Amino acid sequence: MRTQLAASVAALAFVTIAAHAAIAQTFAPPRTREGTPNLQGIWQVMNAAAWDVQDHGARLGAPAGQGIVVGNEIPYQPQALEKKRDNFANRLTKDPESKGYLPGVPRLMYMPFPFQIFQTPGYVSMVFEYNRGIRIIYTNGTPHPRGPLTWWLGDSRGRWEGDTLVVDVTYFTGETWLDRAGNFHSDQLHLVERFTLAGPDHMNYEVTLEDPQVFTRPWTMRMVLYRRKEPDVRVLDYDAGLLMDEEQARRERANAN
Amino acid sequence: MTNRCMALAASLVAIVVAPLAAQDPDRPPSVAGCASENLAFHRCALEKARTFNPPRTPTGKPNLQGFWRSLLTQSFSVEGVTADEPMVRNPVMPWVVAPPEIVEPAARKIPYQPWAVAIGRKGVNFEKYIDPRTTCSTAGIPRLALQDPNQILQPSTDDYVLWLHEDHHVQRVIAMDGRSAPGQAIKTWNGLSRGRWEGNTLVIETTNLNGYIWLDDSGNFYTDAASIVERLTLIDPDTMHYAVTITDPKAYTAPFTLAWALVRVKDPTFELFEEACREGEASLETIKQQGYKYYFGESWRGR
Repeated sequence: MRTQLAASVAALAFVTIAAHAAIAQTFAPPRTREGTPNLQGIWQVMNAAAWDVQDHGARLGAPAGQGIVVGNEIPYQPQALEKKRDNFANRLTKDPESKGYLPGVPRLMYMPFPFQIFQTPGYVSMVFEYNRGIRIIYTNGTPHPRGPLTWWLGDSRGRWEGDTLVVDVTYFTGETWLDRAGNFHSDQLHLVERFTLAGPDHMNYEVTLEDPQVFTRPWTMRMVLYRRKEPDVRVLDYDAGLLMDEEQARRERANAN
Repeated sequence: MTNRCMALAASLVAIVVAPLAAQDPDRPPSVAGCASENLAFHRCALEKARTFNPPRTPTGKPNLQGFWRSLLTQSFSVEGVTADEPMVRNPVMPWVVAPPEIVEPAARKIPYQPWAVAIGRKGVNFEKYIDPRTTCSTAGIPRLALQDPNQILQPSTDDYVLWLHEDHHVQRVIAMDGRSAPGQAIKTWNGLSRGRWEGNTLVIETTNLNGYIWLDDSGNFYTDAASIVERLTLIDPDTMHYAVTITDPKAYTAPFTLAWALVRVKDPTFELFEEACREGEASLETIKQQGYKYYFGESWRGR
């Protein structure tokens, strides 16, 4: 029974992976006027990575989720693992999200909010509903500027490898986390992201994280971005910090009266 | 007192006072062949726009792309700053004498309804509230176009124009596909914008504003009933005429129009930086300790 189940799970996994690979290989992406794959549109994840990038059961206020970490394990150094556990235990107060700050990359990519991609010669621009994030990915061949710089969303330089947009991101702050479960990185974080259209309305998004202060080796997260198809859908406004300030002002006014 | 002493004292006074009461040093005598006083520039730019043939995108639209900075502006007061304004002599943050940015109506003042006068124009807002730009929200439209550098991007799909602002990482997505305005219950800081081309002019109509922003440092304001029409027109390869008309039946008796220039940043290595404000704004606590309150449109709401 157990063997049979394992076999059918394996078979199912194989079929899923094969189908996935087949889509990615055979899909000829639409192109911009400039000839690059046209990634433009409004995109959003449909996963629970914002709560926890790893496999996790449901917690109050957090949906259960199958993780997006390839192999599920994050290769923390021993001290970093302790810090992660402490972060998790104190996540309600320690999570930088609770201060309304820009959430960093890659966390911004899998917040449960839409973002929109625009392509013009030399630039792939991404604008995010969450905290008005802007990522400008330079595809004009320029290198990262001379550092040191500390930016909440890093500095992004991209290039096309076949039909995949490959983005190198560096110059981070160490004050952002990876999710609401306390997974974290330092300011030494370096990312390589890969965006590949898998169909007209699906995009494979993969990000490899390298951080010699926190992890023992580079590791990868992989997820699917879904195109928002509702007529006239647009990126709206969710500015967490301003909403917190507004709530605070409302409370103070109520107390004063 | 000797004459020498008098001369020294006089020159000291000149050094201290002259920069405070001076005209804006960033205001050149002319821009793109137009006089730089805002109304003169506005009239001259409208005339130039009739004949200037702008560069085009590959799809034939006027090509407004690039990095821009505002000129002929100050954010102290859209109604202008006169030499007798006390803030001109403020030792910490002196205002600069400047003409009004308002070019219509002829009085060049915001046509406030009576109740709103005491709130804007260095009234209740200025006295009691923190400029929302200082709380890391947004300069708001149109003050955004008065502030830091910005970038206009026109994807060749012609379905959107993207206007990015370095100031507090503000993004403006301008839908160019002829859609109608979203439901008015959706309120946002910088509104929701829809655009169209009228000849060589990009016309942007913005609605769904929450009324939480100020027009300038004087606390001049609009409410959540406001709608804004901006008109961007190239008048030479590196200068844009920017005119913005604000309508607000809750606060004004008539629409009014402001105008200034946007000039191209020509440094080929120029890039927008990340300006994360909330994450590093240090002076806000001090301002709050002085008793200033968060704005959120409180002074006009409930009237």
